[in-house]
This record gives sequence, C-alpha cells and structure tokens, in this order.
Amino acid sequence: MNKNKKFFYLSLISIAAVVNGCGGYPTVVSLPYDFRGTSINSAATESSPQIAPPYIVFVSDRNGIQSVYLYNSQNRKLVDLLGLNFLDAIASSPSISEDGRYIVFVANRNGRSCIYLYDRQTRQRRNLTENIEAEVRNPSINADGNRIVYEIARNGHWEVAFIDL
Amino acid sequence: MKKAFLKWSINIGLLGLLSSCSFSSVSMSQGTLNGRYNNEQVTLSANGKWLALVSDRSGTPRLMLYNLSEQRFVDLPFINTDEAVVESPSLSRTGRYLVYITSIDGKPDIILYDRLTQRQEILTQGYRSWVKRPKISADGRYVAFETSRRGHWNIEVLDRGPYVELDIPDGSPVNSPNR
Repeated sequence: MNKNKKFFYLSLISIAAVVNGCGGYPTVVSLPYDFRGTSINSAATESSPQIAPPYIVFVSDRNGIQSVYLYNSQNRKLVDLLGLNFLDAIASSPSISEDGRYIVFVANRNGRSCIYLYDRQTRQRRNLTENIEAEVRNPSINADGNRIVYEIARNGHWEVAFIDL
Repeated sequence: MKKAFLKWSINIGLLGLLSSCSFSSVSMSQGTLNGRYNNEQVTLSANGKWLALVSDRSGTPRLMLYNLSEQRFVDLPFINTDEAVVESPSLSRTGRYLVYITSIDGKPDIILYDRLTQRQEILTQGYRSWVKRPKISADGRYVAFETSRRGHWNIEVLDRGPYVELDIPDGSPVNSPNR
C-alpha cells in the first residue's frame, strides 16, 4: 500500500514536471509557412532575420532575386516595401530600427556593395557609402535609427566604421 | 582555542569569497577599436552605446564587447573558452542580454548571456534543428534566428516569456503573474 502511494506521488511529480516543461519558456513562436511566398516562410531560403516587434525584417530569394522583406506579426502579413529592392542587385544583411521606420541593408550590384538606408515613411532609399571604394558589409542600426555600424575592408582586414545620421 | 579556530575559518572563508569574486569579474582592456586585426560580425546595441564583435586582437578570434562612450574593450572570459567556437553575437538595448551561437556538443546552440546576473542559458535546449544568426529584440524578450527545420533555411522566433526582465530604458515594469 505504502509502496503504491509512493509510486503514485512520484508519477504525479514527474507528470507535473513534463507538463511544466512543455508549457514553459523559452518557446518557439509559430510563424506561418506558405510555399508560394505570400508569408514569412516559403519554400525558398529565408535568412538574416532581425526582430523589432511586431516587425521581422529578413531576406529571401523567393522571387528569383535576393531581396529584403518585412513581416508584421500582428496582422500576420508582409509589409509592402515599395522602392526598397533593386531588380538587379543582391540585397543582404537587413537591420531595422525599433519603430520599424528605417531599414539599413547591403545591395551588391556587379560586384560592388553599398549600404542603403530605406525610410518607410518617405519610401526613399539613400546610398550611404556612395563615395567609399572599399568593400562594405554587415550594417547594424540602433533602436532610434540614428547610428549605423558596419564593416569595411581597409588596410588588409575588416575594420569597424560608423555613420551617425 | 576554539574561538581562534572559528575566527581563522571565517577569515579563510571570506578570503575564498573575495578571490572567487575577483575571478568572476570581467577583465577590461584598453585599446582602440580598429588596429592590425580583424573585427567581424560587428553589431550595435539598440541604444547605440555598445558593440559586440568577434575580434582577432588577442591572437585568436574572441567574442568581445566594446563600450563606445568609454572606448574600451570588455572581454568575456566565461563565453570564450578553448572548447567551442563562439559567433554571431547580438545585443539587447543596453547590452544587458547577449545572444550568440556556440557548438558545445557539435550541434550549434543559441546561448543567452545575462550580463547583470552573469548567467548563461541555452535557449535551444531540446531544439532539434540546425540554427544560425540569432538576433535579440531590443527589449530582450524575443530572439529571431535561422532554422533548418524544413530542410532549407527558414525563420523562427523564440519567445523568452512575459515574465523576463525586459531591457528597457528606465528599468523593468512590474509584471506580476497573478494579474
């Protein structure tokens, strides 16, 4: 009897532990998948995500050109980024300000990389490294959208450089 | 006699505490940001005051933090060990939370390091797919990353939960589970 009771409590504890483990954090947020590419994940490659809730900015080659996309997790829809992407350039390394207004990214056309800043309010993109001959990559913007850090190939190695807007 | 012994043991105990404290402190090093070495995977904290990067300045690649206002490097001895490569750092708003990738058992895991409590947490414990490039949200609650779960690279988001201490400008709001 006593042994049975012990076993009962032991199993109760282990069940509680399992339940707790399943409902606990950190947990994976379920993001929609659509193979045609109307949502965040598709049958193509999605990479370089950055999250500024409710926005997730990322790059995808779903339309044949590697481009920047923006997903709004509140209404579960892609946000239109009119005037951001090129038809003849590879976009990579997007980074977004906390309010989702500014997106900084790299566009590589004919082997030359430039860092662009896109303003969602004005729908304008601006080349920030037009006068820099060296290779640039990996830009990162702060929450307020007024400071950008990136890597530049200078003096035989990758150096850190800043743009204060 | 007994008293003296007690005194000594307390003293030794305190000494032990002290030495362990100094061991756990983060070593600082002066130095300019750019020199004769590679600085890669550079990323900015959301408040724009900290950099996280992988730097070759000490001979081997190490994940380091750089305080932009004080212009000094902060080494992370707990994170840089001889057993695993650490890469892809990302910082929350004030640089309190640092996420990065390391491969402890041959499979990459996303680790969260809380610089306030100096604790590390494996966020992908039990996650069965390959992961890449984690990025933490400014408040430190969400981590977006690349996953190989569907046989190609897709995007996944981890939620650390509503009760984590958020990295927000003026302290954390009280977020009681009972409310």
